[in-house]
Amino acid sequence: MNFHAGPVAIVTKLFFTVLYGVPLLWIVLTSFKDSADVFEPSSALLFEPTAQAYTRNVNSNLIDALGQSVAIAVGATVLVLLISVPAAYALARVTHWSVTVGLIALIVLQMMPQTAMVIPLFRLFGDWGLLDSLAGVIIADAALLTPFATLLLRPFFRAVPMSLEESGALDGAGLFRTFWLIVLPLARNGVLTISSITFLLAWGEFLYAVSFMLSPGGYPLSALLSQQVSAFGIDWPGLMALAVLTSIPILIVFISSYRLLRDGLTVGAVK
Amino acid sequence: MTTAPLTTPRSRRGFQNSRRHLVFLIPAAAFMAAFAVYPLLQLAWMSVHDVTQATLNVPGWEFVGLENFIRGFTAGESAAAVNRTLVVVAVVTTAGMLLGFVAAIAMRTSGWWSAALLALMVFVWALPPVVNGSVWKFLLAERGLFNTVLGALGLDTLPFLYDPQWALISVASVAAFAVIPFNALVFRAALMAIPPEVFEAAAVDGASKFQEIRFIMVPAVRGTTLVLFVLTVVYGFRSFDYIYVMTFGGPGTATATLPFLGYLQAFNRYDYGLGSATSFLAVVGVLALAGAYAWTIRREERT
Repeated sequence: MNFHAGPVAIVTKLFFTVLYGVPLLWIVLTSFKDSADVFEPSSALLFEPTAQAYTRNVNSNLIDALGQSVAIAVGATVLVLLISVPAAYALARVTHWSVTVGLIALIVLQMMPQTAMVIPLFRLFGDWGLLDSLAGVIIADAALLTPFATLLLRPFFRAVPMSLEESGALDGAGLFRTFWLIVLPLARNGVLTISSITFLLAWGEFLYAVSFMLSPGGYPLSALLSQQVSAFGIDWPGLMALAVLTSIPILIVFISSYRLLRDGLTVGAVK
Repeated sequence: MTTAPLTTPRSRRGFQNSRRHLVFLIPAAAFMAAFAVYPLLQLAWMSVHDVTQATLNVPGWEFVGLENFIRGFTAGESAAAVNRTLVVVAVVTTAGMLLGFVAAIAMRTSGWWSAALLALMVFVWALPPVVNGSVWKFLLAERGLFNTVLGALGLDTLPFLYDPQWALISVASVAAFAVIPFNALVFRAALMAIPPEVFEAAAVDGASKFQEIRFIMVPAVRGTTLVLFVLTVVYGFRSFDYIYVMTFGGPGTATATLPFLGYLQAFNRYDYGLGSATSFLAVVGVLALAGAYAWTIRREERT
């Protein structure tokens, strides 16, 4: 096979490496700069590193925001799993008009602009007492991510051989036992894939958090970052330090689930 | 996978269960009905009423018919916002599809560089949009890295985020930047599925690299391209994160696309009726795109 990289391929790879590497590099470099060095071309790459931006930012507010981020991302992931795992199984296995309707509904809901959902949710959450509470943000995030997770998971259940389920049924296992003991373990990779994607997306979500949390005290890290970046007179090293801190959990989840993400996304993406 | 030897009626197509299994759909149906479908109906209801900050949670809104929509087009900026949305969709779709495909071809080769580049791109894709948006706002700032490089090359600096036209192109480009890794990943999977013999035969026939791309790879990803195209259009249409972080719709309203304008009208100008009407237009746009998507998928599943 002719897999030798020609000059065109090398230039292309160089282009993408720079395009995606430089922003990452710049976040990290800037977070270790002094405010005076930020826009100084002579100290773009060579400068005296300082951890001031970090020490200035790590305070009790940041710890609170970290706690909110963890609660929201974990809560939304658990809720999405509870809803989408059984739904994806039914959608993969049953032929019925309601399944077709369900699939169409999920595809449409997956595409809805979040900015359109936030307006009626804000009004309804006001009535239901869900404003300014973790539960409100978790529910809204779960409603946002469930369609995507369910559609991504469905092909994993379709790949489980039907014959295994039938032998389970012959052995006298009921509906839920068959699902729990036979089907679910075989769709394990799918469940892990949607768990990490849901966690990543919920961790980064900020519009619901900013809109439903009525004071910055309840903001998760992503929302805090979104408010600081649009503020006037930005403290760039501080902002980039906050960006690094926000990204560290993403890096951990990414490293532990990269293979699943790489292979799982392509399975479900176009199905 | 072998087909099941059992010939009960319900296994005739190999993957069917009884309707009792529909019980597994109940949690999702109830949850989505309450927290997604009902809010959408609420949005439609709000769009034909006069809803302000003061009356938001007070029963008995005044019915105003289509006045919010008319106001959006006459006094508001609905028409301009539609145009801006089209520009964003065009930039995101063109760059996202083309560069995604190019990156996929480049990363098809085995080797540490391709593997590392793919991991790097997927990581950037997985980062929160606020993180990507923050660093791009910094890179494109008046004295940011891009303008520093332009200056070093002896060129004029560019008002990436301060000029209305440039700002729209900038936020659209960053949205494209964020979607390219995903598209590259999906394209790459489609390219990896091509049997190696096809390339061997092409090599025997003395095909050039360009001919390999034109006559083997492009036809092989056709189905993927169609589906990915609709997904990318939808992504461009609904994206707001980078607008929120980088320009917040500005300068003026130069980067307020239809979905973002609705948000601004509701949460910044506290005119929830007007915001609902604008957002409802965005929802109608999405419904049209969803129809196109369903049609594409059906066609692909039949072939």
